Amino acid sequence: MFEYAWLIIVLPLLGFLISGLLGRYLGRHVGWVAVGTIGAAFGIALFLLVQVLQGGAIGAQPGPIPATAAGFEWVPNVRFDLLIDNLSAFMLALVSLLSTLIALYSIGYMAEEEGKPRYFAEICLFVAGMLGTVSADNFLQLLVFWEIMGLCSYLLIGFWYHKPEAASAAKKAFLVTRIGDVLFLFGVVAIYIVFGSMKFTDIQAGIAAKIGTPTFDVRMMTVIPLLLFGGAVGKSAQFPLHLWLPDAMEGPTPVSALIHAATMVKAGVYLVARSFIFLVPVDPATGLVIPGAVPWNAILVIGVIGGFTAFFAATMAVANYDIKRVLAFSTISQLAYMFLGLAAGAWLMASAGPEETGGYSAALFHLTNHAFFKALLFLAAGSVIHAVHTNDMREMGGLRKHMPITALTMLLGCLALSGIPPFSGFWSKDEILGVTFAMGATQSLFYALYALGILTAFLTAFYTFRLWFLTFSGTFRGHHEEHLHESPGVMTGPLAFLAVFTIGSGLFAFLVPGGWSNLIFYHVPLAESPLAGFTRMPDVALAGLSVAVALGGLGLAFLVYYRRTIPAERFTRGPAGARIDRLLLNRYGMDAAYNKLAQYGVMGVAGAVDWFDRHVIDGAVNGAARAVVTLGNLSDRFDRTVIDGAVNAFSLSTVRSSLTLRQRQTGRVQNYAAVVVLGLSLVILVVFIWRFVLPALGVK
Amino acid sequence: MIIPVAWELILSALLFIIGLYGVLVRTNAIVVLMSVEIMFNAPILNLVAFSAYLGNPAGQVFALVAIALAAGEAAVGLAIFLVLYESHGTVDLSKARLLRW
Repeated sequence: MFEYAWLIIVLPLLGFLISGLLGRYLGRHVGWVAVGTIGAAFGIALFLLVQVLQGGAIGAQPGPIPATAAGFEWVPNVRFDLLIDNLSAFMLALVSLLSTLIALYSIGYMAEEEGKPRYFAEICLFVAGMLGTVSADNFLQLLVFWEIMGLCSYLLIGFWYHKPEAASAAKKAFLVTRIGDVLFLFGVVAIYIVFGSMKFTDIQAGIAAKIGTPTFDVRMMTVIPLLLFGGAVGKSAQFPLHLWLPDAMEGPTPVSALIHAATMVKAGVYLVARSFIFLVPVDPATGLVIPGAVPWNAILVIGVIGGFTAFFAATMAVANYDIKRVLAFSTISQLAYMFLGLAAGAWLMASAGPEETGGYSAALFHLTNHAFFKALLFLAAGSVIHAVHTNDMREMGGLRKHMPITALTMLLGCLALSGIPPFSGFWSKDEILGVTFAMGATQSLFYALYALGILTAFLTAFYTFRLWFLTFSGTFRGHHEEHLHESPGVMTGPLAFLAVFTIGSGLFAFLVPGGWSNLIFYHVPLAESPLAGFTRMPDVALAGLSVAVALGGLGLAFLVYYRRTIPAERFTRGPAGARIDRLLLNRYGMDAAYNKLAQYGVMGVAGAVDWFDRHVIDGAVNGAARAVVTLGNLSDRFDRTVIDGAVNAFSLSTVRSSLTLRQRQTGRVQNYAAVVVLGLSLVILVVFIWRFVLPALGVK
Repeated sequence: MIIPVAWELILSALLFIIGLYGVLVRTNAIVVLMSVEIMFNAPILNLVAFSAYLGNPAGQVFALVAIALAAGEAAVGLAIFLVLYESHGTVDLSKARLLRW
């Protein structure tokens, strides 16, 4: 009944074809093709979401959810179907909404750029890839669309491919995410080997059926989610594969907003949310967690990577002066929060039963809120860059009076990112931290992760307002102040729209009956036992602590960068401070370390392979070639001397004999007559001897 | 008095050989043609001889036909020699050697 959902993917694909093939005939209007097709996809996705929610989550009677929108059989045994459940319907609507807004913004931002058809075609293809990823029915289909996104990310980071930094950033993004993608691919293969199917529903049933049987190795339950998480680490730029995201800021700013903040990097979070079928294996028949199958260690690995990356990335954001890179580090840090929330949520669900969706829903709630406010921040940063033509915050300042709409909307985004109530970031971040703290009671490692999360909250508030104060307050430090201007309506319109969501999306959780968690849960929502989860007000003590910490960070930024009562130089003046500053600016030397690894490790291996190739393979090939040449020479000599000799000798003798014989043709008629007479005489003589002489002599 | 048929055959053979000699040896085309006529007469004599010997007149009829044919042959031959004389200015067969290597 949901077959029309295919339109949601096909429409952006159509936009890709139109703007890619016919774009140059459309001129300046090519952007509207993208906006139109993606916007139409959003309309359908919204309709789908309403239908899905009426079928169980908020409707009276449980409907046919999860359902499948039948597609086609790709290869035998592997079908391309769309999975329609609460989670995918919600993600479809979210992604298409943000994509529409950012495509609209791009029309203004890219107005004076060359290559608009290429840009909008790639945006459309990316959106189709992302929509396909979040609606995939099985892991292979997910991987296919996942790779389409990766390709588009590469193409769009390298949009200004004539700039060497952009070209190398694109390559870096592609190669670093590739490490994760290979792990993901291994995970998919392992799933197929163990379960014989890659469909989510088959896997859920397969775990319940196989657990406890002797052929099923229960360690696979730890290996598979970790391999899938490897893909998520690459795509969502988590430690240690976080290197590519800051460099990806070489792409156009709308691309950074769409791909590297709002959607593609969220695909990793989505993948981990989907792999909850491994992290919290539930028996579909009884609806209970299968105790022996829960991969506790895999959950902890996800939590530790999340907690560490959150703090690690936030520290690097503190020292950076590139407005987009600060936001990129912040994106890494916020994504890590989501992984922490998912890990805590999985722990909670596995220990307390599948209806305890607190952490899971908090992580996806944070995903939603972050998508809105980080898209807003990037688009506002793009608006600033559009005006001042630089990314360096040291050449900005005092822009508030020139760009009031941008300044105000970015302030709202900053408040949301810092986690100041009642802006959206507060609700979801606080819920993640709350669940993490609660899980500390059973696994004390979560207390440490909670502490990292609180430290991150402080750093987040500090670097966010450092960014805002450096950009918008004080006096202008760049050149050509007279050229500063507010951006056009197609750019400020999406900003204002997103700002509304930044304030409002936190209230979703309270507006939706049955709780936020019902809205995005991957299981069948049960009408008779409503899912517990994000239905209550946050714990006052914990919430108070995180608000206090956030306000502390904000206050420090205010004192350092607005009032300047504490000069920023004080932190970097001492030897230890200077060293930390340098360490943070160099991103802990990890980029250099990876380069060295590539230089010595990869080049060393390549050198060895090269040597092997030159000496062994080439040697064998050359030897074979030489043998063939020798054989050919022998054959040639045989041909020339024996075969040609015979032929030549024959023809020579023919010529010589004919030279002799032709002299018998005298031309004298009487010679011919004599030969005739002689021949006839011989015939007569022979006949005479044969018929008469021989019988007379008695010879038979 | 009946002449024995063997004598007539011997005469015929002599005529044939004399003619053959003339054909092979003499270079004057006219003489060669005359020799051919001599050779022709040998089988005609044979026809007549066997006709008398067997008492069958058909042989004499054939002889008359053959004589008529020989006259035609002589005419054709003389015509060829006239053309030869036109082109070469001679009827010497040893001079007419165009069909040579």
